[in-house]
Amino acid sequence: MTRHAPPPDTGTPTRVFGIGSAIALMTAGVLATGPWLNQGGELEVRVAEPPLAPIMAPARPIAAEAGVFREHPGGPAGAFGAERRPEAHPRTMARYRSQRAYPGAPPPIPHGLTRSEMRDQNCKTCHERGGFVPRFSAYAPVTPHPEMVSCLQCHAPNDVLVGVPSPQMNELRCLQCHAPGARQPLFAALDWRAPSWPRTDQRALPGSPPVIPHALQFRENCLACHAGPSAVAEIRTTHPERASCRQCHVVSTAESAAEVDVFVRPLASDFSRAGGTP
Amino acid sequence: MSGSDRRSFLKQVALASAATAAASVMPGVAFGEDVLRSLSQVGLSWRKTPCRFCGVGCGLQVAVENGRAVAVRGDPESPVNRGLACVKGYYSVQALYGGDRLTRAMVRRDGRLVPVPMQEALDLVARTLRETVDTHGKDSVAIYGSGQWTIPAGYVASKLFKGGLGTNNVEANARLCMASAVTGFLTSFGMDEPMGCYEDIDHADVFVLWGANMAENHPVLFSRLLERRGRNPDARIVDLATRTTRTSYAADRSLLFHPQSDLAVANAICHEIVARDWVDRNFVENHVAFRKGKTDIGYGLSDDFSFTEEAEEATWDDYVRFLEEYTPEAAERVSGMPASDIRWLASLYGDRARRVMSLWCMGMNQHTRGTWINNLVYNIHLLTGKIATPGNSPFSLTGQPSACGTTREVGTFTHRLPHGLVSNEEDRALAARIWNVPVERIDPRPSHHTVSMFRALDRGDIRFLWVQVTNPMVSLPNLSRYRDAARKDGRFLVVSDVYPTPTTDVADVVLPAALWIEQEGLFGNSERRTQHFEQMLEPPGDAMSDAWQLIEVARRLGLEALVPWDRVDHVAGIWEEYTRFHDDPRHRMAPLAELKEKPGVMWPYVDGRETKWRYNTRYDPAADASRGDFDFYGHPDHRAWIWLRPYEPPPETPDEDYPLWLSTGRVLEHWHTGSLTRRVPTLHRAVPNAYVEVNGEDAGALGIRDRQRVRLVTRRGSLEIEARIDYRAQPSRGHVFVPFFDESLLVNELTLDAYCPISAQPDFKKCAVRIERLAVGSAR
Repeated sequence: MTRHAPPPDTGTPTRVFGIGSAIALMTAGVLATGPWLNQGGELEVRVAEPPLAPIMAPARPIAAEAGVFREHPGGPAGAFGAERRPEAHPRTMARYRSQRAYPGAPPPIPHGLTRSEMRDQNCKTCHERGGFVPRFSAYAPVTPHPEMVSCLQCHAPNDVLVGVPSPQMNELRCLQCHAPGARQPLFAALDWRAPSWPRTDQRALPGSPPVIPHALQFRENCLACHAGPSAVAEIRTTHPERASCRQCHVVSTAESAAEVDVFVRPLASDFSRAGGTP
Repeated sequence: MSGSDRRSFLKQVALASAATAAASVMPGVAFGEDVLRSLSQVGLSWRKTPCRFCGVGCGLQVAVENGRAVAVRGDPESPVNRGLACVKGYYSVQALYGGDRLTRAMVRRDGRLVPVPMQEALDLVARTLRETVDTHGKDSVAIYGSGQWTIPAGYVASKLFKGGLGTNNVEANARLCMASAVTGFLTSFGMDEPMGCYEDIDHADVFVLWGANMAENHPVLFSRLLERRGRNPDARIVDLATRTTRTSYAADRSLLFHPQSDLAVANAICHEIVARDWVDRNFVENHVAFRKGKTDIGYGLSDDFSFTEEAEEATWDDYVRFLEEYTPEAAERVSGMPASDIRWLASLYGDRARRVMSLWCMGMNQHTRGTWINNLVYNIHLLTGKIATPGNSPFSLTGQPSACGTTREVGTFTHRLPHGLVSNEEDRALAARIWNVPVERIDPRPSHHTVSMFRALDRGDIRFLWVQVTNPMVSLPNLSRYRDAARKDGRFLVVSDVYPTPTTDVADVVLPAALWIEQEGLFGNSERRTQHFEQMLEPPGDAMSDAWQLIEVARRLGLEALVPWDRVDHVAGIWEEYTRFHDDPRHRMAPLAELKEKPGVMWPYVDGRETKWRYNTRYDPAADASRGDFDFYGHPDHRAWIWLRPYEPPPETPDEDYPLWLSTGRVLEHWHTGSLTRRVPTLHRAVPNAYVEVNGEDAGALGIRDRQRVRLVTRRGSLEIEARIDYRAQPSRGHVFVPFFDESLLVNELTLDAYCPISAQPDFKKCAVRIERLAVGSAR
């Protein structure tokens, strides 16, 4: 490191020259031997500019971009191909829609909750990784947003089904979700008209990849809902092992369409070549 | 055709022609027909609005299709909630479409409410108002609104009654909800509303929740606490409460105390901070002064009760002497909270390396010493200098969407004006100037706070009462007395609401109101954030916004000059006039054009910048930097005041006849009196009716099983209700809890109308109750 030491103090003009060349030397030195400088310390001449702040990774990744690469919470790709147990309660698109007031609404909890489940909100025991749940004879749907832990904040329980004990006997199993009175009368009638659901399987050409017909907010992890034995049959992907879903599938909702105009090429302005053509 | 309509129309034309062109170029090829069809569904439009429910003020986006709201999502642009909502927010639009929406005005004839044209009902309201003033004087008429009033509605109400009719009989249900927070701020800092903001959550290391069940009542902010803890493994959430709730289960520690003893615990924390020399001496010397108030101040239980606070100067030595008796051991004897836990709490506040946030809502505000406990928690932050810097923040939460924006900032209380107090000559002069009324018309004497107003209705001192956007016949304490009052002869009750409620049941005139996004409006949330929403929907039938109802009546009273606005842009006109009251760097508000664009703006808004930390000279343009790092400019001495407030017992405690504590509150799925949320099927089915939460051991001793019907009895009334044991929360031994949303199970017939003498806010959290088993078979 001594080769970067400044020349001795020999009077002002020389000093200016000396500092100037020292800075030049220093700059060259930084380029050539940058890493060494970190251990330096004996250097008496400092570059006037403050050191650059370290580059920080963003504290909050862009969910719509990063979320898609999250693995299926249920585990490695191999699990997707597992045979569905034939006795498993089917999950259908019709039921999926009937549980939601509008596309994107958080569904209420359709099944019974024991008191400790209500208290501890340990929903992720089943809904983070999925898998077959003998209690309901069904595959647990996998949450696309396991980082959210206050489940009951958005997913309402049904009072009639709270405190239903976890049944050991088969015949009680249905009552877990289909208790008498689970559709108890309303406080007042509701005049609700839900918007129509977007069509699935919208393709530009036969055989081309279908578009994503819903917004991604809190549903950035495609595999959570579209892969594995708990996925609704109509929207289960055939190729969960291809991790980069949005390489081929683009978001195309009515709203995203509303924001995009049809491409119209701007008119080119006429010009002539003053010098003629070669 | 509006700009956006035109744009979507043009787009549809363009899409149609593009599809035709595509088909003609490549005949026979299915050229994206499905995609093109989906692209042409441009009818759905998403527009921003603050949520209609609690004071968190989440930014939502509502989708409108064919003139109806069809979907909701959290607004990712909103710094409040960053795209998340709670179940009430997600289902909020369904509350617009209950089958029993009020769509026509009704007038009571021969005992029955019969539909009449809106104009006829408004004529009757104006005529009766005028006649009542002429016969019984200006103070025989009153208006009672709420923290759900839009800012324009609250402003017009105040202007009409205070500036037009000259009466200070203007109150709002925020008196039941936020009044102690306001007097806490005013006594400690001289100015209302928090110094910090929600961003404090992202900086804090310790969260101490003083009797706030945030997981149920401020769920989106609670998620933000959990997220902060997830990112910062050293962060701790401590739940101080009288019962064990969903919040306690999520917290790192749950510490229980006896009702009212928070006063002793807070003083003991300060005792420990002083004893251990954890005081930030520099901060205290430069920015803090000491005050002593009256003690043994009563509970406001009789009609002739009155109270005036007097502040007396005190010194550091006085304060240390005052704290002497509040040793952790002494506080343990009152609170039941172990002295070691009190010391541990003090060490969290006292540790210079930790940033601490205290959060509270009704636990501290609905308290017969509500002002005092607010002061005492500020004392902790002032002693340690942990205030008004990122992450160091005593934070008072609110329960209504515009408790701050309307009731506190517009000042829809008897003693307030849009700027300052009726008792202050300068404030009256300013109001008279902006309103263009003679200054003598504004009465310098406050009249009735809420409980007093309904007592006056009972006595007959008030004869005409107009209730807007609130449901007092469910929410008032000691309800039976005030319901009987409202049914007395010689009273006239006007109720503006969106659904039939127990309050419309006792009305002489019912005016159908526009709800939320059926009108243009503004709300202000707990972090001083003002949010604008445009009208997205037509109100059903004859329904009309509360603001416009008031304007219509003002015109009929010959007070057109007070309300010169036209229907299309009255909100802009009102906003322009109202903000002249706050044209000062301490309170300046953003212009409407910016509020329309942004997901809310925090005041003070000066030179295009919002203020995140007030009183901090680095952030607050109104703070004088020559005073050092802080300038508590609310008080004339530019200091924050530490108050010497003792522990005093509550007015009613359990005894032999009524051996249990009764507390009331909310559940996540229902909001306030349930008139909106109960009409939403998902929310109704989650909690279809109120219940009494009983401690498991108490239930065992009393022989009460889960879901068994029991009778609750207090000195004021009794209620048959279903018992729930280990349901969603667990009261401590000797306590029961009942949510107040259920209009068929009115727990407020049992509660006590004792209030904090300084704030006049009643205490719904503490009274004595007996629980009786009903013979099997007596259930419904």
